[in-house]
Amino acid sequence: MSGRERDTIVAPATPLGRGALAIVRIDGPEAVRIVEDLAGVELEERRARVVRLRDGEELLDEAVAVRWSAPRSYTGNDLVEVTLHGSPALVERLMGAARARGARPAEAGEFTERAVLNGRIDLVQAEAIGDLIASRTALQAKLALANLGGELSRAAGAIREIVLEVLSRLEAALDFAEEDYEFITREEGEALLAGAEGEIASLERTFARGRATTAGITAVIVGRPNAGKSTLLNFLCGSERAIVTPIPGTTRDLLRETVEIGGLPVTLVDTAGLRSTGDAVEQIGIARARAAAAGGEIVLCLVDAVEGMGESEREVLEARPDAIVVYTKADLAEVPEGVLAISVPERRGLDELLARLDAKVREELAVPEGTAAVVNERQRGAVAGAREGVAAAREALRAGGGEEVVAAELRSAARALGALAGEITTDEVLARIFSKFCIGK
Amino acid sequence: MRFDALVIGGGHAGAEAARALARGGMRTALLTMARDSVGRMSCNPAIGGLAKGNLVREIDALGGLMAEATDAAGIQFRILNRSRGPAVQGPRAQCDRDLYAAAVRNLLDAEPNLTILEGLASRLSSRADRITGIVLQDGTLIAARAVLVTTGTFLRGLMHSGEQTRAGGRFGEPAAESLSDSLRSLGLRLGRLKTGTPPRVLRSSADFSRMQPQPGDERPRPFSIDTDRISLPQVLCWLTHTAPQAHELIRANLHRAPMYSGRIVAAGPRYCPSIEDKVVRFAEKERHLVFVEPEGLDHPWLYLNGISTSLPPDVQEGVVRSIPGLENAEIARWGYAVEYDFVNPDQLDPTLAVRGVEGLWLAGQINGTSGYEEAAVQGLLAGINALEWLRGGEPLVLRRDQAYGAVLIDDLVTLGTEEPYRMFTSRAEHRLLLGCDSVYERLSPLAAKRGLLSEERRRRIEGRIERMGRAREALGSIAIVPDRESAAFFDALGVTVAAQSSIGKLLQRPEFAWEAFAEAALGCGRWAGEVGTAAALGEEELEGVLSALRYAGYVEKQEREAAALREADELRIPGEFRFERPGLSREIVEKLNALRPRTLGQASRIRGMTPAGISILRMHLRSV
Repeated sequence: MSGRERDTIVAPATPLGRGALAIVRIDGPEAVRIVEDLAGVELEERRARVVRLRDGEELLDEAVAVRWSAPRSYTGNDLVEVTLHGSPALVERLMGAARARGARPAEAGEFTERAVLNGRIDLVQAEAIGDLIASRTALQAKLALANLGGELSRAAGAIREIVLEVLSRLEAALDFAEEDYEFITREEGEALLAGAEGEIASLERTFARGRATTAGITAVIVGRPNAGKSTLLNFLCGSERAIVTPIPGTTRDLLRETVEIGGLPVTLVDTAGLRSTGDAVEQIGIARARAAAAGGEIVLCLVDAVEGMGESEREVLEARPDAIVVYTKADLAEVPEGVLAISVPERRGLDELLARLDAKVREELAVPEGTAAVVNERQRGAVAGAREGVAAAREALRAGGGEEVVAAELRSAARALGALAGEITTDEVLARIFSKFCIGK
Repeated sequence: MRFDALVIGGGHAGAEAARALARGGMRTALLTMARDSVGRMSCNPAIGGLAKGNLVREIDALGGLMAEATDAAGIQFRILNRSRGPAVQGPRAQCDRDLYAAAVRNLLDAEPNLTILEGLASRLSSRADRITGIVLQDGTLIAARAVLVTTGTFLRGLMHSGEQTRAGGRFGEPAAESLSDSLRSLGLRLGRLKTGTPPRVLRSSADFSRMQPQPGDERPRPFSIDTDRISLPQVLCWLTHTAPQAHELIRANLHRAPMYSGRIVAAGPRYCPSIEDKVVRFAEKERHLVFVEPEGLDHPWLYLNGISTSLPPDVQEGVVRSIPGLENAEIARWGYAVEYDFVNPDQLDPTLAVRGVEGLWLAGQINGTSGYEEAAVQGLLAGINALEWLRGGEPLVLRRDQAYGAVLIDDLVTLGTEEPYRMFTSRAEHRLLLGCDSVYERLSPLAAKRGLLSEERRRRIEGRIERMGRAREALGSIAIVPDRESAAFFDALGVTVAAQSSIGKLLQRPEFAWEAFAEAALGCGRWAGEVGTAAALGEEELEGVLSALRYAGYVEKQEREAAALREADELRIPGEFRFERPGLSREIVEKLNALRPRTLGQASRIRGMTPAGISILRMHLRSV
């Protein structure tokens, strides 16, 4: 018997660096023995205990140790958490002492992997834990918590219910052909599946928002040279991040800075001004600006109020009709009626701009609070597989294909959803049939 | 007396097991309470049906006898789900019950190695977890190295009819009382199940003019590849229904029904509810179907399929006489329920051998199943496995993507059962691979290799596989290009061909009719060679070829899925493997230790097993 399950692992649970406290986790069959050996006392389950850790004669630290016993721990194994004083050197020495007693350094994510292997959490929940740890804003944390609480699995489960309902009635029609029942008509089946497909598609569509919410979004500021892009960037991030001069073409490469807007981390991108130029470096900068504008979730197209709307701006708007048009230098010239106009030096229109950005993020880009969303490729793949199965089943129903073929497609859709929400068994299908219909000669 | 193998019970499981053993060259004894009860149909006079028909064909492909006996006794053949796809069609035959039992006895009598003994088994004789034979009630010891118990509903059978309860396994036949204790003393857990049977009425008292006739198929299709044609005359069945006043009567007398008065506590089958169950559970239904089936060509009784009951006789009479066409019916035998012991099948391994006891196999209703076909396929596979054990050969354990019989046995030994288990097509996740038309290709090579097929059957099967393979290849090679010539050809058949197509794709379209296509193709000489190969096939062979072409895409997909699962099914768990592993819950370890799955695939199907648990087992198995 070998295997990774059997050995004991150790790793710091808090970032390395100076702080008031640092936590080290030890997981596996030897975890309790190792810490008790260092502490010289016995640890009681789920009780914090102040201990003096000694490596041989040498005092390591006065620390707090908590013992969690299998299976009621985060990983499902025996697990000890030791809270040290927050010095990287102390953490290193404790790790060393644990290694000398048979533990090995954990690999990235290994504690959570053990929790999944031990059936403590499902895959969606494990992914949510990763997202929760990585979250930088409250809204991101809320989405991760929703998925950790099973929101996504429940949403997939509700769709699976519909698929199972149609499947079981089709199965009844196949297995109980002699009964005087019309278990389901093609039209009914199609209608139910149309509903399911719609719901799967909307779940699939949450991926754009889910990914945006988990990974954050990009807002690209474009415009002609000297339109005030760098000035706006500096205002939005509240520091003199970009060099601002009256010389057109000052910004050449892309400049990025992340701020929080609408509850999400938004990476602002300042770009080179759009114009024709012979300068090779500037040309590359302009090409990068266009590429960034094409890929950004938000595009801010700045128009110099003095110069007015021109060819460059029109090109941007053609490529990105959803771009937010902002007239700058509103203190220097008249602006057309009804446009969003700002002046950074005079602090005009800035609250309005911030409100527009906030609304755009919340309403169009972020996952609405309290709803489930597909947040990564694995989840999207499962949902897409389910949609394909249901779509193929609908198509077969419409085209007069056999129920056995429809059922095969629905089983594959249910399996795909099961990858998110738990497996399907034939028992489940039969139990549904018998609970609803009076069957049997 | 000393034999190589001894089979206790001459029902559908026992008959198959005994013949397989005898054919394999083992000196075999079949012990029955009465010689003339061998092969008896205790309930409805029919064989086959959806999924069950497939089981009968699988039995034929593996060298069993049920299909042969059905062909010799069938008086109405019908393919159910005829309007649906070939994978979910199921052949069924109404049988003459006396001719059926006679056919089974004839087939058994023809086996020189088989002896039929009359007697009542009292207990198993064993030494240190090894079965050595059985002891009869009169004390006679019959020694045998292998013992197969196929006693059906006879273990401590208790028959209920209204307020009356009598010991017995079947009407007029005694129960086997002490064998249960003997099994229990080997450490086996026994449970209790219930099943029921409807009243029979005198045919002469029925008025068929008030019922709807149900004819069989015009050309009865035999079950066995050995049969060229069905020679018995074919008869009608009839359809009628219960009436609201009968439901009233049942409700008023529920307290007298053993299931409701508490006299029966065992679980009955959900799919075969008694009429009193139907009336209670589906109160809104005003009528329930009654299928009136003849019990034989000249048999004086009719079987009332759909109203199995254990209500007292006066209520039964009222219920029957409220049925259109049966107003003046005279009851020939009252319906009754029977309660019996079964051995929870999760104590068996996939060869149907009892785990931890050497030389003992169980098959049929004793394992918690219901139905003749379910019993027979178990009997055959238990017989084959006992035979292989006796001669030191490899066990025969089929995979779930190979046979319904495998689905049945895997479900039984992995999940156990809490109600009588019946086969349904929906239990098979690879249903599209398990159609009747492909049984011989799937199973017969395995049986032929072990010498389980008669020379005649082997020859017929080889011919069939060869013919069908050739035709499938020829038709599969037809590529239809949407040019002007093709358009004209298919327009005349009412089929629009807009893109490149194949026969398989066209067969999926409801407007495409093979007969019209073949006629047109042969008429104009187009694809005449390819279509000609198919014209040389028998009707069922042609259907098989067309079905294979039609499902080709799906079959490929299911085969890929099956292959992915096979990896787990081929990862063996060694006999000494310890399941106590960190990360596995105590409950699942207990189940694993009790069931001792043989492969990771089987372990993955245990109730309560999690994907995480399987990952853990896989990891440990890889490092063994």
